Amino acid sequence: MTDFRARVFGYHRKAHEGEDLLAVLEKIPIFQDLSRRELSAIGHVLHRREYLPDEAIIRQDEPGLGMYIIQAGKAVVISEPGNIQLSELADGDFFGEVSLLDETPRSATVVARTHCTIFGFFQSDLFSLIERDPRFGVKIVVRVAKIIGDRLRKANQQVQSLSADLHRARDVQVRADRP
Amino acid sequence: MIEHKPRPIWELAPLLIAIVAGILLLFIGGAARVVIIALLLSYILDPVVTFFESRGMPRGLAALLVLLGLGAAIGAAAAFLIPVIAEQVNALQSGTTSQQAASALGEIEKSMRERLAFLGLGSLDLGAKLEDFKRSISERVFEFVVRDSLEVVISAVTIPFMMFFFLKDGREMKKKIVSMVPNRYFEFSLDLLFKMDVQLGNYLRGQFVDALTFGVLSIIALWILGVNYFVFLGAFAGLANLIPYVGPIAGMVPAAVVAVLGSGTLSSAVSVVIAFVILKMVDDFIVQPFVVASSVELHPVFVLVAIMIGGELFGMLGMLLAVPVTGFFKVVLKEGVSTYRKYRFS
Repeated sequence: MTDFRARVFGYHRKAHEGEDLLAVLEKIPIFQDLSRRELSAIGHVLHRREYLPDEAIIRQDEPGLGMYIIQAGKAVVISEPGNIQLSELADGDFFGEVSLLDETPRSATVVARTHCTIFGFFQSDLFSLIERDPRFGVKIVVRVAKIIGDRLRKANQQVQSLSADLHRARDVQVRADRP
Repeated sequence: MIEHKPRPIWELAPLLIAIVAGILLLFIGGAARVVIIALLLSYILDPVVTFFESRGMPRGLAALLVLLGLGAAIGAAAAFLIPVIAEQVNALQSGTTSQQAASALGEIEKSMRERLAFLGLGSLDLGAKLEDFKRSISERVFEFVVRDSLEVVISAVTIPFMMFFFLKDGREMKKKIVSMVPNRYFEFSLDLLFKMDVQLGNYLRGQFVDALTFGVLSIIALWILGVNYFVFLGAFAGLANLIPYVGPIAGMVPAAVVAVLGSGTLSSAVSVVIAFVILKMVDDFIVQPFVVASSVELHPVFVLVAIMIGGELFGMLGMLLAVPVTGFFKVVLKEGVSTYRKYRFS
């Protein structure tokens, strides 16, 4: 009977997929600290997409609508022009989370390397969540803001470190140029 | 550049099926009418359901509560208006032209024959023509109530039924539609749908509130001025107000004519005109800036063509639905083009 229902209605597959998805979502920093019920609510608004190898998931310079979470598969982040590979993404990785708050153009292209199962969480879904359950929506917005703040802090540290390196290099150059 | 693997064309099949189904639906008059009305009303009521949902109520229950509230409001309005409407239909059906109206018509006819003598006008018999016109209107109202009562009852059941599911599962339905779109056009569709949703919602709710406000104010003004058939004329003025430029005049003229025929004096028409000018100013300076989305301005020529097409396809109701449906297409086109330009389709 269970087998029949599983085949006809896909219950078994769906329940299994739901558990898998919750396991993936729990590991995403934006969704940490959310209860199982809240994670399940997030799961309901996510858009499940399948990508073939070499298919573009997002394209550089196109509007950023939201973030993607890789449930299964591998993808690469590429900077155009020049097709410079910036990084590789795998199961549980996510990208594009800044677009949840700001619809600026995508800074890079992401292409599927293998067959990928991906979940999209978009700004419109977040706004809808905020409208329906403000407390829950704000929890996510705060997490996104923290992640962006962390990245900004790291970027500042990198800029300071690079700036110090540059000054040192200039000093060395000046000393070397002295007669 | 990166080589993006093309997707097979059959992936577009579900989308094409949905479009063909939509076009077919348009040609199945009755069904399309019910679906369009249910969709428009759901759009208007969606924020109310979302408000209850944000207060912790399950969406299904919130949708049910809003529909029950709407039913109660319509019921209360019907309990108040049905006796008035019945009285006015009776007056239209059986009432003869008043003495004042007959003398006013006589004066108009005499003046027309004198001034337009060069056209060789014979007896115009305006009184008889007015009686015929009144009879034809009352017959149509009677036909609508009696002959189409089955359709009215079916619509009264199916529209709220559909609205319940549109309100409860609307988001899931949109998600299902977007899930059918091939990957390359997925973000574009999502972007377009979201922007359309916001613009359309604001536009339709604005139009609804504006028509309702103008209609109610017109009914009150005509009732105060003692104009016959004030409920019909006020409701018509509210709906006509949806049409830019010509609508307010189209709503005012019948009321002014009925006022003259009822009282036999031109001064009653002047009162009606003054009342409508004041109402229009209230509408333009107080109501519209708050409720109507200025981004969906419709050119009057488009609106008139749309009204004619609506009338041809779905009769009177089609004419009334023409304005919001034209607004819908304008939003789709405007947002479609501006969103398309942001994507690198080539």
